[in-house]
Amino acid sequence: MLEIRDLSVSIGPHEIVHIDALDLPAGRRVGLVGESGSGKTMTAMSIVGLQPADAKVTGSITFEGSELLGRSETEMAKVRGGDIGLILQDPARALDPMMRIGRQVSEAIRLHMNLSRKEVVDRVLSLLAQVQLPDPEQLLRRYPHQLSGGQQQRVLIASAIACDPKLLIADEPTTALDVTVQEGILELLVQLSDERGMGVLFVSHDLGVVRFVCEEIAVVYGGRLVEVGPTTSVVRTSRHRYTESLLAANPGIAASDELEQYVGRRLDVIRGSVPALGDFPTGCRFRDRCDFASDACREPPPTMISEHGHRFRCWNPAGGDVDAAAG
Amino acid sequence: MPPLVEVSGLHFRYGKARVRGHDDAWTLRDLTLNIEGGSTLGVVGESGSGKSTLVRVLCGLLHPQQGEVRFDGRDIREWLSESQTDLRRRNQIVFQSPRRSLDPRMSIRRALGQPVRALERRVPSDTELTEWLERVGLGSEILRRYPHQLSGGQLQRVGIARAISVKPSVLYADEPVSALDVSVQAQVLNLLMDVRSQFGLTLVMVSHDLGVVSRLCEEVIVMKDGLIIEAGRTSEVLANPQTAYTESLVTAARTVSLAAPDR
Amino acid sequence: MPDDSAIQPDASLADLKRVFRAVVRLPFPLFLGAFLVLSFVFIALLSFFWTPYDPAAINVPDRLLPPGSDNYIFGTDRLGRDVVTQLMLGARNSLYVSVLSTTVAVTIGALFGLFVAGTGPRWQGPLSRIADVGLSLPGILVAFVLATKLGPGNTTATLAIIVWFIPVAARVTIGPATQVLALDYVEAAFAYGRSRRFVLMNHVLPNIGPLLIVLASVMFAAAILIEAALSFLGVGVQPPTSSWGRFLNEAQPLLEAAPYLMFFPGIAIVLTVLGFNLLGDGLRTILDPQQARTGIF
Repeated sequence: MLEIRDLSVSIGPHEIVHIDALDLPAGRRVGLVGESGSGKTMTAMSIVGLQPADAKVTGSITFEGSELLGRSETEMAKVRGGDIGLILQDPARALDPMMRIGRQVSEAIRLHMNLSRKEVVDRVLSLLAQVQLPDPEQLLRRYPHQLSGGQQQRVLIASAIACDPKLLIADEPTTALDVTVQEGILELLVQLSDERGMGVLFVSHDLGVVRFVCEEIAVVYGGRLVEVGPTTSVVRTSRHRYTESLLAANPGIAASDELEQYVGRRLDVIRGSVPALGDFPTGCRFRDRCDFASDACREPPPTMISEHGHRFRCWNPAGGDVDAAAG
Repeated sequence: MPPLVEVSGLHFRYGKARVRGHDDAWTLRDLTLNIEGGSTLGVVGESGSGKSTLVRVLCGLLHPQQGEVRFDGRDIREWLSESQTDLRRRNQIVFQSPRRSLDPRMSIRRALGQPVRALERRVPSDTELTEWLERVGLGSEILRRYPHQLSGGQLQRVGIARAISVKPSVLYADEPVSALDVSVQAQVLNLLMDVRSQFGLTLVMVSHDLGVVSRLCEEVIVMKDGLIIEAGRTSEVLANPQTAYTESLVTAARTVSLAAPDR
Repeated sequence: MPDDSAIQPDASLADLKRVFRAVVRLPFPLFLGAFLVLSFVFIALLSFFWTPYDPAAINVPDRLLPPGSDNYIFGTDRLGRDVVTQLMLGARNSLYVSVLSTTVAVTIGALFGLFVAGTGPRWQGPLSRIADVGLSLPGILVAFVLATKLGPGNTTATLAIIVWFIPVAARVTIGPATQVLALDYVEAAFAYGRSRRFVLMNHVLPNIGPLLIVLASVMFAAAILIEAALSFLGVGVQPPTSSWGRFLNEAQPLLEAAPYLMFFPGIAIVLTVLGFNLLGDGLRTILDPQQARTGIF
């Protein structure tokens, strides 16, 4: 459904993002994981033409067969909210504090669909119910500040799926929320995706969250894809050293019987920090921070394909060598 | 040895509203808690639980309307009126947002020296400043920089260096790593662990991340709506939560934990 | 014994070079602004020692001569007085009143605003109301009252403008100051024992500095025009003493006969206001560590 090929996003002299290939089949949930500065948000924004004005984008992003890059702003505006829904990080800021909920959710509907006033209202009520918000009729007239963070995010999800998009792009949708609220939102997203056959591109720095929601994970470092594959595969048998370190750095809560032994135990650290834009090393961008870097890493690593359709680019992958991909 | 910090019947409320008998108005209600010297305590809860407020009351930055807080055997009110400098020197805080915890108009050299200037009434030498920076893994070239020139991880390290420059007894950390990248989080957490053992500090860490708390803190208290609803040894509380709320927190944390089994 | 004499001249030359390089790297608006402001200050000061024509000279036969006439570069006014001379004299009063009133008003107003912000939620409301009361005082009325006590002139005009502007400066300061006070680094300062006064002067003030500079620039422009109005109403400087504002007002009825008479004081005001604004911009840039150039500072 969505195919990204040779996407390059540059600002000034720096190429921030270079994605060779990334596919999102219809109805599938794919996670784009990376830290701040990895270019994951830039990639997501470029899909819908929301990259910064001074960013230069080249390459190809095809959505349902037609090219998205190079379209005019008016054309992109039709796509956003219509075929592709978008939810962003901070729900409190994404909602206009002066506009009632009903009106905000109906905005996309009124823009993209030709419905009578009553039909619009009915649709809004149905959407609010689908995102499991209580008392939709009451909600129509409320203002954002009267809702909790979790409720606000549900309202935003309702707006984003209002016109039955085929793809939902979610950028850190639960980062600002409490953990119990987060659980609810994530489950909602999975449910909506399954029910509607809606694809989801889930952008986040949190591997644990992405693992819960997504069937496939793409790991980004320094604007480059370093590893892509089915979730279980990437998490259980990660190949790229960066993915491996990312997993080790924030393991989450251990199993109950193991908790005691982890108290006071130091965490596995990735040396150094993400370099500034112009300071990435040549060849493999991660090599300065990698404990397994060798001389070979001075050259950009080729794409290797592992079992289970698991793709990665590393000269010294975890789990031993694999045959390089043909072509 | 009596506990370093003893709290009993603590009530706190923001603002000047004199709401009669309304329980909801309290940010902190009827809290009772002991913190042993040298321990690591995690304060866990969701937004609105009052966990950040509690830390500020324990530091002496906010004054409770009711109840008692004793530090090292003396009432905090006594400390504040008679030896405020000593109280401040022995209790320091590391804040959540590294960018907001340093004055953007002050060089690192100046910012780093503030606590010593204020509490020890002397200007720290460059040798001392460099030593403090080295403790947290930074070099002296940082001194002449300004906050906007440093990364979040570096700023947080400066914040920690600043806090321990006066050799406090208790270090309060309010969500010290939530604003940082994952790879940097681990570094700063390790730093906190090292600093704590090196200086024999009592560490009180507020966090919404149960995973982080389970690694750093031997003891934990769970807060909800201004109350402490559960307390105990971290591994115990997380493995066998006694209240439904704690259980829901643990379950939610486990769903997004990488250590959990596959779906 | 090592010979130091060779080192000395080199050292001072190197220092001079350093200063020169630092000055040259200063932001351009600062240069231009400083140049404009200093030029006018110079002209004002010069007028005490020399003007092309005698300030008091009235030469009615030569009245209303256009610019470019034989002896009068910028022409003459309705009393035959040389425009250049009048501009130089006017500079004195306009600059004196506006610079003094703005500086004093912003200083006092900002300090009061800081104080109010520092009192916290309980007292902030009532104290802000005091500032608001000040705002609602009609400035003209204040000016007239002062004039009856002190007589018309520069002092009265200056005092009236100060009284008028202090509440504005205070109100403008309170909001941002309160916001800064809520920031973490202020909390940190309290945590390591700093007093409220220290925090206000060393953390809050520098961080709202740029705002105050902008405020001063705007107030300065307003002050020049207010001074003109006050003079017109008989509260400021009286004829034959002049200010640019008076000059401007007196030229108004002659707009058809001699349009150039409005042009010159108008340009002088515009250039001075521009100069102060540029100076303000430049100052904000230098003082901002995020844009600071390395140099002598």
